[in-house]
Amino acid sequence: MDGSGARAFGFSGTWRDYAPIAFTNLLLMIVTLGIYRFWATTRTRRYLWSRTRFIDEPLEWSGTGLELFIGFILVLVLFLIPFVFLQFGVQALIFQGYAGLAITLGALAIFLLFYLSGVALFRMLRYRLSRTWWHGIRGGSDDKGWGYGWSYVWRNIVGMIPFYLLVPWAMTSLWNDRWNAMSFGPHPFRASALAGDVYKRFLLFYLVPFLLAIGLIVAGASAMPMLMDPTADPSQPPAGFWALLIIVAVVFYGVLPLIALIFYAKYMRVVIAALSLSTLDFSFDARSKDWFLLILGDIALVVCTLGIGWVFLSYRHWKFFVTHLDASGEISLSALTQSTTAAPGQGEGLADAFDIGAI
Amino acid sequence: MTSVGPDEGIWHYDGTSATRHHPRITWMADGFTLHWPGGESGPHRWGDLVPVGGTGARSVYGLRGVPGWRLGFVGAPPEGFAVHLPLPARYGRWIDRIGLWRAIALFGMLAAATVFVVLRAPQWIAPYIPYSWEERLGDAMIGDFGGRLCETPASRTAIARLQAQLGDDVRIRQIGIANIDMVNAVALPGGRILLFNGLLKEAHSPDEVAGVLAHEIGHVRHRDTLTALVRQLGLSVVLGGFNGQVGGAVNGLLAMSYSRDAERAADTYSIRQLRIANISPLPTAAFFDRLGKLSGGERMERATSWMASHPVSVERKVAFTRSAVKGRAYRPALTAAEWRALVDACKNDPDAKKGFDLF
Repeated sequence: MDGSGARAFGFSGTWRDYAPIAFTNLLLMIVTLGIYRFWATTRTRRYLWSRTRFIDEPLEWSGTGLELFIGFILVLVLFLIPFVFLQFGVQALIFQGYAGLAITLGALAIFLLFYLSGVALFRMLRYRLSRTWWHGIRGGSDDKGWGYGWSYVWRNIVGMIPFYLLVPWAMTSLWNDRWNAMSFGPHPFRASALAGDVYKRFLLFYLVPFLLAIGLIVAGASAMPMLMDPTADPSQPPAGFWALLIIVAVVFYGVLPLIALIFYAKYMRVVIAALSLSTLDFSFDARSKDWFLLILGDIALVVCTLGIGWVFLSYRHWKFFVTHLDASGEISLSALTQSTTAAPGQGEGLADAFDIGAI
Repeated sequence: MTSVGPDEGIWHYDGTSATRHHPRITWMADGFTLHWPGGESGPHRWGDLVPVGGTGARSVYGLRGVPGWRLGFVGAPPEGFAVHLPLPARYGRWIDRIGLWRAIALFGMLAAATVFVVLRAPQWIAPYIPYSWEERLGDAMIGDFGGRLCETPASRTAIARLQAQLGDDVRIRQIGIANIDMVNAVALPGGRILLFNGLLKEAHSPDEVAGVLAHEIGHVRHRDTLTALVRQLGLSVVLGGFNGQVGGAVNGLLAMSYSRDAERAADTYSIRQLRIANISPLPTAAFFDRLGKLSGGERMERATSWMASHPVSVERKVAFTRSAVKGRAYRPALTAAEWRALVDACKNDPDAKKGFDLF
């Protein structure tokens, strides 16, 4: 399929097509006190997948609302309700003066949450691949992700210890771990992303706050004479104070997220470029500017519609993802046989409980 | 027997490999068979066909029991074939059966009834919960408050006198002074009331403390803490379907509006008890006035009152002021010596632990 000029992935949905799905979803979610959420997610994915073409054939989403709902109930019973009790217990222990025990229990709970969020990340990907069909073939994984959870814990901790300098290593190696456990049909995914490829961007992200802090201190020092103005009303903060406050706000809410975005854009390009399936090599070409426009569009959409535009965000994000995704290489259809992995019986309850996974 | 195809507009995947077949379909009243060069699938019963929804301008069917088996048509299936086919699910099986708008009306009514019951039921249920349960719950949650309660023989006498004047017939298990520097008092489950040391230090007279204590006794009498606990539990279950942030916010708002009603009722009780005990309500009014100034003045309080759990201080001040009878000979709630004993309880109790290490 390479060389024909057409991209391997294409998206043919329109927001007008999607609007009836989005609005009925919203309405049904409201009147069911949120329970319809799982069926709403499924309808959205069915639409998005079916409008996503890979080479000659659209994808198909075969997940159901019921299995997402069951996943949610399982997590509720197994984890959330015990956690509520634990929280009460910790409070009671504090009141009764066993602060040490309370802190230990609380720390254990946080550690367990950390571990489970790693497992959730893995299982979310596994579930999504197992419900994604193309040419009657699906993906999946035989790994249940419990081991990945530990890997997630220790790599993230090691990444943070040297003042967060190893975070890119943790991110890329975890990406590799996750994808190397996945397959589509008979073919395993191969992920070999190198942290070195994202380090320059990461150092930019890492150093800019220091540079900004130095800049602010210098600016503050040079503004000192103004701040010390003896004629100023002492009960009113000087004008310089407000200027400084605005600068700090702009830095925190504007510049820092922007640098994070610039890093993330590079990260996504690097890790997807290092991903392959049999003889197919994937690539992702969204640049920082594209991400910036996506987020800006999201904000404008939500603000201008007083929040209702929120229902279109998953559509926008999926479209963004698909239109920037590409693949090259040959794929033999007769060699692409059915996956033998065990398909999970229920949905992404854990990921759902931790609010991860946007689509 | 009737047949169509083979045709470019009819395709089939057998679920074992990704190879696309263009079969000829032959069918009878009870089932159908697919034939293609080198293979066939069937006969299959009509009832085993499962429509795959959300496929755009194509009609795609799966086969029960054979993952990945697909039969697809460009546009609608041929007429004679189509009459046997099930309709694709749209919103979900139940909703499709009764129709979208009727489902929305039905779910909406159910949701409103559920929320109404969950908000109201605690008031109906709480009076029937045995006091022994409530007391055990309170003990489990608070215990002896980690030894932070201050008590001297003189302070015990003073508290007993206040209790006798303000709530002789209320099931109070304990009124304690907590060695915590916060201007506050709380009613806990199981008939316990804690006056924080900060409140005693801030109060100018025993009458102010009497007004606040009578308010808390009102909560105990109405079993408000238990009601609030039951309501919180019910709301978190009902709103569990929404994701964390939305559910939490709605939950908080609903619970708050109810807690404000409970606060007003407790104030009403306090005003009545002060009148019966012949204690002037004016010092309590003055106390609320000072509290109101602490929290940013009336305008600030009004602006945030929709999210505060207590009625604005000005309203409370007015209610207490109005209840004062001109020319009546009020007497102080405690003698000067008793008042001293109360204020100095924490100073004079050698066993009292200080504050909270964790807060």
